[in-house]
Amino acid sequence: MDLVDAASGRASYADVRHVRMLAEDVALRNGERLLDRREEEGIGVRVRVNGAWGFGAARGSGRADGEDALARALALAQAQPVAVGPGDEPGLTPEAPATGSHTAPCEIDPFEVSLGHKLELLAQAEAAMRCEPLVSVARAQVSSRSEEKIFASTDGALYEQRIVECGGGLVAIAVDGSGTQVRSYPGSHSGHVAQAGWEHVAELDLVGNAPRVAAEAAALLSAPVCPSDRTTLILAKEQLGLQIHESVGHALELDRVLGGEASYAGTSFVPADGIGSMRLGSEVMNVTADATLPGALGSFGWDDEGVQAQAIPLVGEGMVRGFLSSRESAAEIGLSRSGGCMRAEGFTRQPIVRMTNVSLDPGTAGTLEELIAGTQRGIYMETNRSWSIDSRRLHFQFAGEAAWEIADGRLQRMLRDPVYAGTTPHFWGGLDAVCSPSEWALASVTNCGKGEPGQLASVSHGSAPARFRDVLVGSG
Amino acid sequence: MSGQAPQEVAERAREAAGGEHALATVTRERSLALRFARSRPTQATSVDDLTVEVAAVREGNVGRATTNDVEPDALRRCADAAVRAAETAAGQAGPGAYPGFPEPGALRAHHGHDPETALLDPARGGEVLSAAFEVAAETGTQANGLWTAGEVETAIATPSGPVLVDRVTDAFLKVVAFGAGGRSGYAARTSVALRDIDARAVATGAAAKATAASSAPVALEPGEYTVVMESHAVHELLWVLGQTAFNGLAHAEGRGALAGRLGTRVVSAAVNLSDSPRYASTLPRAFDAEGVPKAPLPLIQDGVAHGVVHDVRSGAIAGASSTGHAQAGGPAGGPLPTNLVMVGGGAADEGELCAGVERGIYVTRLWYTNIVRPEESLFTAVTRDGTFLIEDGRVTRPVADMRVTDSALGVLSRVRALGARSVLTSDGELYGRRFVSGSVCPPLRAAAVRFTGSAAPGTSSRASGA
Repeated sequence: MDLVDAASGRASYADVRHVRMLAEDVALRNGERLLDRREEEGIGVRVRVNGAWGFGAARGSGRADGEDALARALALAQAQPVAVGPGDEPGLTPEAPATGSHTAPCEIDPFEVSLGHKLELLAQAEAAMRCEPLVSVARAQVSSRSEEKIFASTDGALYEQRIVECGGGLVAIAVDGSGTQVRSYPGSHSGHVAQAGWEHVAELDLVGNAPRVAAEAAALLSAPVCPSDRTTLILAKEQLGLQIHESVGHALELDRVLGGEASYAGTSFVPADGIGSMRLGSEVMNVTADATLPGALGSFGWDDEGVQAQAIPLVGEGMVRGFLSSRESAAEIGLSRSGGCMRAEGFTRQPIVRMTNVSLDPGTAGTLEELIAGTQRGIYMETNRSWSIDSRRLHFQFAGEAAWEIADGRLQRMLRDPVYAGTTPHFWGGLDAVCSPSEWALASVTNCGKGEPGQLASVSHGSAPARFRDVLVGSG
Repeated sequence: MSGQAPQEVAERAREAAGGEHALATVTRERSLALRFARSRPTQATSVDDLTVEVAAVREGNVGRATTNDVEPDALRRCADAAVRAAETAAGQAGPGAYPGFPEPGALRAHHGHDPETALLDPARGGEVLSAAFEVAAETGTQANGLWTAGEVETAIATPSGPVLVDRVTDAFLKVVAFGAGGRSGYAARTSVALRDIDARAVATGAAAKATAASSAPVALEPGEYTVVMESHAVHELLWVLGQTAFNGLAHAEGRGALAGRLGTRVVSAAVNLSDSPRYASTLPRAFDAEGVPKAPLPLIQDGVAHGVVHDVRSGAIAGASSTGHAQAGGPAGGPLPTNLVMVGGGAADEGELCAGVERGIYVTRLWYTNIVRPEESLFTAVTRDGTFLIEDGRVTRPVADMRVTDSALGVLSRVRALGARSVLTSDGELYGRRFVSGSVCPPLRAAAVRFTGSAAPGTSSRASGA
């Protein structure tokens, strides 16, 4: 709080984060052990002077470290062209001071699990994949991360937060003269990571899934190419999660909508006055951003400007209902409260608007099997392989690792190199069925890049398999 | 940092890990980054941080640990964690595949550090933003962008004793200008030194693109078009090749786009490409993450594939030596080129490249490039911030952004002309510990580039790369 007091007379607003991070990645790749442990600690100070923000980051935890960061933050804020005079700077939405502590659930501390145990588990999984002769690269991995944070602001906020993340996954790459094919489990972006302890890795059953992953990678080499067609597409949860992430989550980030990310991440096709007036998808499309979801990577007690975690409806019956926002961006369009979406990577980056857990609400279509049974003809696609979307989040192309033909309500032959493309409102307008709550599950994205300097964020997306009509599908 | 110079910290970290079987790398970053949007400052970041990485080897198994605390206890904990990891792996699995750290080679001086830039004066950034905002006001546009400068000092304490030290600076400015009609234009400049960046010139270039044509953008149907690419777009092609074709690990494992093709013609004979870490306008480095000295490496000569890049690990698999392309953080992703230089051709500028085009597309830059099928260098990306129709040899109208899905090697095999001027081009992305890189490349004209969709509503797409 000393730092906050020191800043209060020289800035209209200031916040201070002390962050201590510990991370460990353990992997086996073709027999090679890849062992990496990282720790860092530092202080990030953000100030606002005459409407301009300045942020300074310094390693360490001492008073001198913090004062150094504060001095640089102030110098940087003051060096920028003055946008407004004293007292005229745009407001921040009001927020009751955040106080207290938050600890994410973690039953078994992953840093207490021995390295030997982790390697043994991975060795079994990797060996199971390498039994398949066509698998050229087999990789099994687990990751653990903990972050302890103390936050204080000139608004009177003071909280502590501890979050532990843990997860793992498998990758098998099969190679022959015809090309390269890959299968991953449970997902292709670091497998599946959750706010949880080692118990989550145990639930993934990496060893049990390894033979299937390898066999499917090998089988894809000789599978027929996904035919080009405009057809019905059913997406499994991981690919659907990324579809939500890229075309809905990012499109509804209010900093992008207002042009604040125009030079890098881009803008949005959704206008700032789109709430209640813009149709994003069909009437069965309901999307919620929920920072309170247990186990999800975008959950927390408070965000990095002291706003309490909350659940926000983003899309209701296909219509835009809300934005992912900060105190500054929410105030700019007249919202009464921030959506609580400000997060920063570590202590060296300032908070920016990041999506919380943006999820497609479950529907009433029953199980995946029932959804397929109700589909006369189409494609079922699993696991993301490639992704790209334009700077307004309108035109996208995704590739999956594997697809299956649907004919007469049943899965038929496996297909390789599946790709689908479209534009966001048309694609979501074709959503006609979402499976029921029993099929709803989280998928994780651990590499969401945004900001300058760049920041990586982790987030989860909940969904149940969903069916989209009139989608352009082909091969990559 | 008194008494804590990176080379001294690196030596202490190496000794904490047992000396002869450890490599300790200290990277200190000091940087400034000022962002702006809608002709206003938005975010400004000042970083002063240091990373100590200890890599310990036991029987061919490598353990790594990292800290940003340089106190003796912290360095010992970091070293212990690296050693413990390597010993655990060796105890469980026996000999590993890592052949051992390389012996340090002779380093050559480079021009990659500018003392004036290293001062990191925030006022310089403020002046740049003011200049960009002035140009925006003069041209009726809105300025968005990033100005950043940094100094990175790297010290590697090698197992055999010598400590290698490299100091580099970088400076980057980009402006994305938006015109009244919502069209955007892009310009950027990268250099070792701040004084090389003319803020008004960059801002004026971006504004000129944003206001070049006031008519509504044309929505083109998917298909094959002749394309004139600015160096920013060519840089993306080279990035794809770095990932898919020149990565020595992927190549050694038979997954690379040049697997089985070295010594053969893979692109147009007009294409000459090398990794040249001391080329005049590049961002030089003295050594790679394993301490191997950087040296020029021909990759494609007269269209013929000559080689790929290696670190110690991929070199061991391939039966080759490291070429000095190890990445920070270990060998898992494989080695990558860091200083690609593509030789220019005979066309004076982009205008001359357009002159021979009856109908085609002018592409300023590509965005959200991702690899679809690496063994074919097949990528997908979207045009951004300055896409125009070329008709009868000149740029006429703006085009709604389009999706390109094509092979990078394929596009370069259809090169018809190259610009004479190769420029240092960077995307200015600054994830993790600062490592600004860029390629030196010319603009080019290529035939039959495959566009598979348009961002304009109502146009058709092709979900296919073939």
